[in-house]
Amino acid sequence: MTQQAPPTALTPEVQAMVGVSGDVVESWGVVDGEYMRRFTQALMDPDPRYWDDEFAKSTRYGEIITPPIMVSYLASRIRPDQGDPITAAFEENPESDGIGSVERPGELPPVPTNLVRVLNAGNEIELYAYPSIGDTVFFQNRYSDIRERLGRDGTPFLIITRETRFWNQNDVTLCITRASTIRR
Amino acid sequence: MTTLLDDLLNMEAEEIWKLNERPDADGLRDKEQIYYEDVNEGDELPKYIYKPTPTHLFRWSAAIENFHRIHYDLDFGLNHDRNPSILVHGSWKQSVVPQYLKDWTLPNGWPWKARFEHRAMLVPGDVLIMWGRVTSKYEKGQMGFIDLEIGMKTQDGIESMPGTATVVLPLRNGPPIPYPFVPPAD
Repeated sequence: MTQQAPPTALTPEVQAMVGVSGDVVESWGVVDGEYMRRFTQALMDPDPRYWDDEFAKSTRYGEIITPPIMVSYLASRIRPDQGDPITAAFEENPESDGIGSVERPGELPPVPTNLVRVLNAGNEIELYAYPSIGDTVFFQNRYSDIRERLGRDGTPFLIITRETRFWNQNDVTLCITRASTIRR
Repeated sequence: MTTLLDDLLNMEAEEIWKLNERPDADGLRDKEQIYYEDVNEGDELPKYIYKPTPTHLFRWSAAIENFHRIHYDLDFGLNHDRNPSILVHGSWKQSVVPQYLKDWTLPNGWPWKARFEHRAMLVPGDVLIMWGRVTSKYEKGQMGFIDLEIGMKTQDGIESMPGTATVVLPLRNGPPIPYPFVPPAD
């Protein structure tokens, strides 16, 4: 009796998602010193390049800089015109985990797979420039890679990589982040 | 000279904390450049030691507007998600990485890229050691590239964030590293 190979998880519909991009999103507000103060204190990074104007002018950057991937968090600020998603999440589910169904702009369409269990598979960051105070930050998500692997029991699963590029109003790329998830 | 990671892992948590090499503001202001020629395979980077408390976790949640209850609501963490405690954020750990690489390459190098995985669950009370070790080096485009193995271990030696990184250091008689950074063509 011949053993049947398990069906592939990397269907043509799944493969077609590689390269699919979300909308270009302009982050709400600009890179600001107060956000950075809270961020660097919480990170425990006392670098004077972030707050000592006179010293910062003497560095190769010539100005105050901001931490490399701070924009990736700043960009997900809930916009004031977005209502109150926290209250809405608890209205919908009193046992909400606190993030509920908060919608983030620029999200990608879901990958058409019936594999629903999601596990973190790793992160990548690439840095190109430090954001400046006053920068407007844009970002765009895209599926940069989807590949199939076989589990120990021979069951296929997917590794889905979502890439996000952040750039400023002068079209200078600030950083690129990639987050990979396993879908089982 | 930094304390070797293996030696730290043979110490009690309080002894590890005393050997924290996280620089203060003046240390970062006066940081002397490490040049490509100064670095050898096997060298270890300074160890950044952290002792996160619930207050540290709350401060990070507030700073980045991450409202996930597993990071600040102990009752939810224990009874809903069945976690051992509230959990240290992966986002905090992954923000320490570029900080760590930045500090080591200051003032004129560049913390180019890193990749890592999140593994163990970290909780308040853990003593965490951010570490790095040089695995190889090469020159390209008149810049010095340093490949690193990086991670964040607990005092018990559990690796919570195994990864790799590549940073760029200036050559002693070389040109400045371009800014914004432009990697050399392959």
